[in-house]
Amino acid sequence: MVDVERLREIAREVISRDDVRQLIGYRQGTYGFRARPAFITSPEEVDQLIFSPACVNNLATYLTLEEKLPVPRGQEPDLRKVAVMVKGCDSRALVQQMEEKAYERERIVVLGIPCTGVVDMDKVEKRFPDVLSRGEITLEGDKFVLSFDGQREEVPKEELLADKCKRCRYPTPLVYDQLLDEAVERFADDDYSDVLELEKRSAEEKWAYWEEKFSRCIRCYSCRNVCPMCYCEDCVLDRLNPQWMRRSVDISENTAYHIARAYHLAGRCIQCGECQRVCPVEIPLMELNRKFYKDVEELYDYEPGTDAEAPPLLATFKVDDREDFIL
Amino acid sequence: MAVKKLNKDKEKEALQELTKFRLIAPAKSDEVVIFKQITDPGEAFLEYGNSTVPPKKVVFPQTETLFRFQRGNPELREKNVEEEGTTVIFGLRPCDARAMSIVDRLFSWDYEDPYYLKRRELTTLVGLACVEPPSINCFCTSLGGSPFGTEGLDMLLADMGDHYLVRALTEKGEKLQETLSAHLEDAPAEEEKKAEEMAARAEGKIARSINTEGIPEKLPTLWEHELWKKVSAACLGCGICTYLCPTCHCFDIQDEVEEMGEGRRARMWDSCMFSEYTLHASGHNPRPTRRERTRNRISHKYSYYPKRFEVIACVGCGRCINLCPVNIDILEILEQVVDAS
Repeated sequence: MVDVERLREIAREVISRDDVRQLIGYRQGTYGFRARPAFITSPEEVDQLIFSPACVNNLATYLTLEEKLPVPRGQEPDLRKVAVMVKGCDSRALVQQMEEKAYERERIVVLGIPCTGVVDMDKVEKRFPDVLSRGEITLEGDKFVLSFDGQREEVPKEELLADKCKRCRYPTPLVYDQLLDEAVERFADDDYSDVLELEKRSAEEKWAYWEEKFSRCIRCYSCRNVCPMCYCEDCVLDRLNPQWMRRSVDISENTAYHIARAYHLAGRCIQCGECQRVCPVEIPLMELNRKFYKDVEELYDYEPGTDAEAPPLLATFKVDDREDFIL
Repeated sequence: MAVKKLNKDKEKEALQELTKFRLIAPAKSDEVVIFKQITDPGEAFLEYGNSTVPPKKVVFPQTETLFRFQRGNPELREKNVEEEGTTVIFGLRPCDARAMSIVDRLFSWDYEDPYYLKRRELTTLVGLACVEPPSINCFCTSLGGSPFGTEGLDMLLADMGDHYLVRALTEKGEKLQETLSAHLEDAPAEEEKKAEEMAARAEGKIARSINTEGIPEKLPTLWEHELWKKVSAACLGCGICTYLCPTCHCFDIQDEVEEMGEGRRARMWDSCMFSEYTLHASGHNPRPTRRERTRNRISHKYSYYPKRFEVIACVGCGRCINLCPVNIDILEILEQVVDAS
């Protein structure tokens, strides 16, 4: 686990650099075990920074989410770098964004966090529902240790670990300027057992399953907005004239939205699981993304977000690509 | 009208009785609790904290057809809300009912909104008191509400263990009590006192609070304050906080054209957190970034609304805190507003 003092020391050096304007990391949340994104612009703010298994957000999203107002006449745009803290899975978002030429590598400073897994905050809050005062989560061996209100509780790692971490192939960031700790060995692999289960169902069963999930969707677009790969400046969903997708909420439009989203992420989703984490009505979006992910790996021997030099999947063609699935 | 009790072994029969109306009750879809129309009493799920999506959607649907039109036909086919019939929302929390009474002021203000008001007229609200605060982020008592609050409700039920204490609060509630009379018994006199004690205990368990005094007047003075940039820095610009808010009521009106020359004019929830909200046809947007949009959300609830309607448009249900993906916390924002200078 990253030592907080070392993390702050490195962050202080980075934010003190003349060519860095902002550092994006984590800080304590407002209640319970929550952590939240921190936006540091001066060395004085560095002491807020933390890293713990509660730091679930994928901060790579913020590199493309920033809204910039037009620069007033006579002023120069601020072209200084943005530094960002990333776990293994989050670093894959950077790799994929750079593969797609979302920005230049030189624009960012990457502080890599070798990660031993983060918690599923829903599981934590279900288990400890009434913790208001700020609590802490650390990992000790194979147990999460939760400290709050002068109490200390130990829970086996397996019970609170986020599902995505149970199949993590890349715990150590794949891209970084500085690594904040010793690299972590791969501790899990993805056998796609969940996808295989879903694939066994008949088309009718699948439709009934997804109809129930999609009918709950309120189209808050949190799944799109949190996704580090959903960064089009002009999103088809926001277009009003012509309107490609209706704002009205019904099973037909909801389904169209989620299918369109899943297809836009085929060969691009890097499995950070943020879309499913944030969904207020608990739609299991990663099941869709993982089906595509598995197909892409099997059909094209391609894993998105693992090689910044490689072209994006949809920009490649190999003469020996399998074609047996084409009707 | 006398206070009654509904034994839990009669709960299903009572709900069955209510299915002769359009009965809306909390129901489970996987682990998510959502208000929906039920026809089978077994679908109702009353052992819940609070619903994820507030029941505002019953009187203010997320998508609502106003009228339909057809090419070559000058007649508009208008929607008649009355066809939806008498509606009972069963088992909503006092904060969500109070939210409706707050939003009523807007929809009956300079223009009387026929759709919303007709639905409100047709709807009877049966509340379920909070014996426990439903979430760690409940702060209803800071806004004039309470776990056993009755504002906006026609009837209040309190879970007493093996039965509910039933109290009609309005004429509509009394009518409903008559409808249910076969399933109700007289409540012993000491029950009310017991309920009062439970109410006080539940209130005492509410852990979070904010002193709202002075906030509505102060907010406009902080227009360019640096706090807005800080509190909105992490915002993703999604609609969770507004769509799940029981008092948020912004809507957009759009025409949807279908095949065969048919179409409809519909209104649908809008969110001030979306980038195209108030986007002008010219391309100019007076709220160009999430800083202005967050400022608008807080100011609308805590300044513009109380200025116009003398009530803060927030009931302290805590949904916007519980479900924000990046832990933006309205109570923290308000504390910063109080401290700002």
